[in-house]
Amino acid sequence: MYNYPLNLTTIALVDIKQQKVISTFSQQQTQPEIPLHLKNLAIKIAINSPEVQEAYGIKPSEKDALMASTKTSLNRTRCERSRHLCVAPTFVKDGKALWAIIDLTDHKLVGVRWTNVGTTGPASPMITERRLQDDKLTACFCEKETPLEKYGWKLNYMLTSSDGLRIAQVSYNGKPILQSAKLVDWHVSYSGTDGFGYSDAVGCPYFSQAAVIAFEPPKIMEIKDEAGNFTGFAMEQVFRSEQWPTPCNYNYRQRFEFYKDGRFRIAAASIGRGCGNEGTYRPVFRIAFAAEQNNFAEWTGANWTNWSTEKWQLQSATTAYTEGKYQYQVTDNNGNGFLMQPGNGNFGDGGRGDNAYVYVTQSKPAVDEGEADLVTIGPCCNTDYRQGPEKFMEPSPDNIQNKKLVVWYVAQLKNDDTKGREYCWAESVLEHGVYVTRAYPCFAGPMFVPTSKNK
Amino acid sequence: MKLKLHKNGVIILLIAGCLLPVFLTSCNEEVVDFDANNCKKNPPFVKTMGFNASNSFFSTSDVKTMGLLLLQSDQPGNPNARITKTYQHPSWKKGGWLAPILVDDAGNIFTSPAPFINILNNPIVNNNTIYRVDGKTGVMEEFMRLPFADSINTQNPYGIIGMVYLCETGTLYVSSVAGSRLHEENGHIYAIDLKSKKIIDQITHIDAMGMGITYTTGKRQLFFGNGRNSDIKSVVLDAEGKFSGSPEFAFTLANLGQRGDDKVRRIRSDQTGNLMVHGIEFNFNLIAPREKQETVYKFVYDEETKKWTLSL
Repeated sequence: MYNYPLNLTTIALVDIKQQKVISTFSQQQTQPEIPLHLKNLAIKIAINSPEVQEAYGIKPSEKDALMASTKTSLNRTRCERSRHLCVAPTFVKDGKALWAIIDLTDHKLVGVRWTNVGTTGPASPMITERRLQDDKLTACFCEKETPLEKYGWKLNYMLTSSDGLRIAQVSYNGKPILQSAKLVDWHVSYSGTDGFGYSDAVGCPYFSQAAVIAFEPPKIMEIKDEAGNFTGFAMEQVFRSEQWPTPCNYNYRQRFEFYKDGRFRIAAASIGRGCGNEGTYRPVFRIAFAAEQNNFAEWTGANWTNWSTEKWQLQSATTAYTEGKYQYQVTDNNGNGFLMQPGNGNFGDGGRGDNAYVYVTQSKPAVDEGEADLVTIGPCCNTDYRQGPEKFMEPSPDNIQNKKLVVWYVAQLKNDDTKGREYCWAESVLEHGVYVTRAYPCFAGPMFVPTSKNK
Repeated sequence: MKLKLHKNGVIILLIAGCLLPVFLTSCNEEVVDFDANNCKKNPPFVKTMGFNASNSFFSTSDVKTMGLLLLQSDQPGNPNARITKTYQHPSWKKGGWLAPILVDDAGNIFTSPAPFINILNNPIVNNNTIYRVDGKTGVMEEFMRLPFADSINTQNPYGIIGMVYLCETGTLYVSSVAGSRLHEENGHIYAIDLKSKKIIDQITHIDAMGMGITYTTGKRQLFFGNGRNSDIKSVVLDAEGKFSGSPEFAFTLANLGQRGDDKVRRIRSDQTGNLMVHGIEFNFNLIAPREKQETVYKFVYDEETKKWTLSL
């Protein structure tokens, strides 16, 4: 008897004549032999999945499936991340074996992989869920850039070693907008223990400086307004620990939004769970603008005032915003550019405000100040402006008037596990026989809205 | 060098021939007595610090304290036992977060940096540095810097990963993956003579992790796990502690245990020469060690098949 949510097998010894159970015992993380109906189900899922058909060349028949009852966890391939019951129907063609890992808990294909077949069968080591996911991410997204063109936006994206998902060469209707944008660090501090926390980088699964890695490729999705109209698209990347949402495991989501009207947003969320309920998450965004000559100005309550040298500022309760909730603007000499709207609980994603530090530095052509993959730039537990970007402006701040600019944005998000008010949090609950994760993301990040002198 | 008369008469003749200096260099069939290779001595400073040597141990894996720690527990050998006393000399933090701990036959401790979650306290340029804690004074100082690969890269945050000591010759073996990349295996195993502080031999282009030494097969052998797959290879060591011949496949952790793709964190040879292989998940990233469950696999040498087999 297999317990799907607990991934546990119970064996009962039964006296058939007496119709009595003599004894039972259970084993954790153990799966029983696969019965015929599950074997048939696995084959059906495999032969009907587009990925298998594409890899195999044609739709394989049921009798092409070998070893469908080869249970991955006992026979050396496994769904080690999901801890689900998986089997691997295998299709042999032209001296090679196509492995299709089927998740019999979620009834879905995990992935496919060709292996060489020796004279005695498929080569070892067998393919597992983690291997499939990590290899695909590495080859497709860590080792090369992927171009994307949609709704007038054009960009390249790739997963980095330690700066999350990076977008680069971003243009809108042919005009360069961003040189790059990425998520440099997550600083997590716990106020319950002085100086305790972690400085996590997110990135690729193999050969990287990431502490929390990507499992799945970035997802691209449409954005709709309240009336259901497509207004833009978003790109999302999830990074997570294997054991999430158990304590001291992390899940971070990075999100870029691009709108048909030229707006864009750089955002990220923590979905807990972390090591405690007194945690503060500080994501460090680096947003490098493409224009060679920009100016950065803050709204003082009455007018826009340019920053002349590299500087930082904290968003607070007394921060002045324009009527449109804009705090800053990044514009060229002609007044064309973007208004910047920080997170204030105004983006409909559950965010409660960013309380963000904003830093502006000059992008110097001869010095790399974070354009290449950046190592962890700040410690876990500084509660003031010293989150890392200040290193690029101290001790002598450079002039930032009519310069190529980099905006660093460090949101501060306090987690909460109070029932009904969960934030930056996650928990696992049993529903209809399987454990499901309830996620309470805390999204943060600024929106950039096009502006021109005429406006 | 210890020589043993083998049961096989032909081999005896060969070995006898090896005693003649003129044949020594052409002979590669040296047979050595079993040796547990266990010569580590308690560092004298432990006692002077007021610690009970039999209940004390060193650690580099405390998640809240960077560097080396001396701990005293109320149950030696039990990792969950209550810690009754801790000590950290101010110099023990200078290498940042550390990983391997090796104690030699004079009670000196050798260790090296390894990043923990991030590289804030572990600059990559220091990854090939060996530190030595003087057994008498307890002061940690840089012992030597191993050569660095051609370039430092941001892909791989690791350098020295494993250390093991050959008591017979006073040789420290150090495995380092510094400079390795996804598609370039640039790691080394260095053999270092501790007295002269000199590298006496090295194996190149190999990303070795945990290492262990055993004499079980009638040879002095260094076993090491591969950082890129689950295989364990071995290489024969000669009487001077140098490598003799090329590394050969010994056995694998592939498809064993809960994960099926463990890499070797450490290899320990027990008193009878069996190999206790500690396997963890490792993919050259900085996933927190607490997420990595460890499995210990016991491998026993089968005299008949001349193979190492998993002991269940």
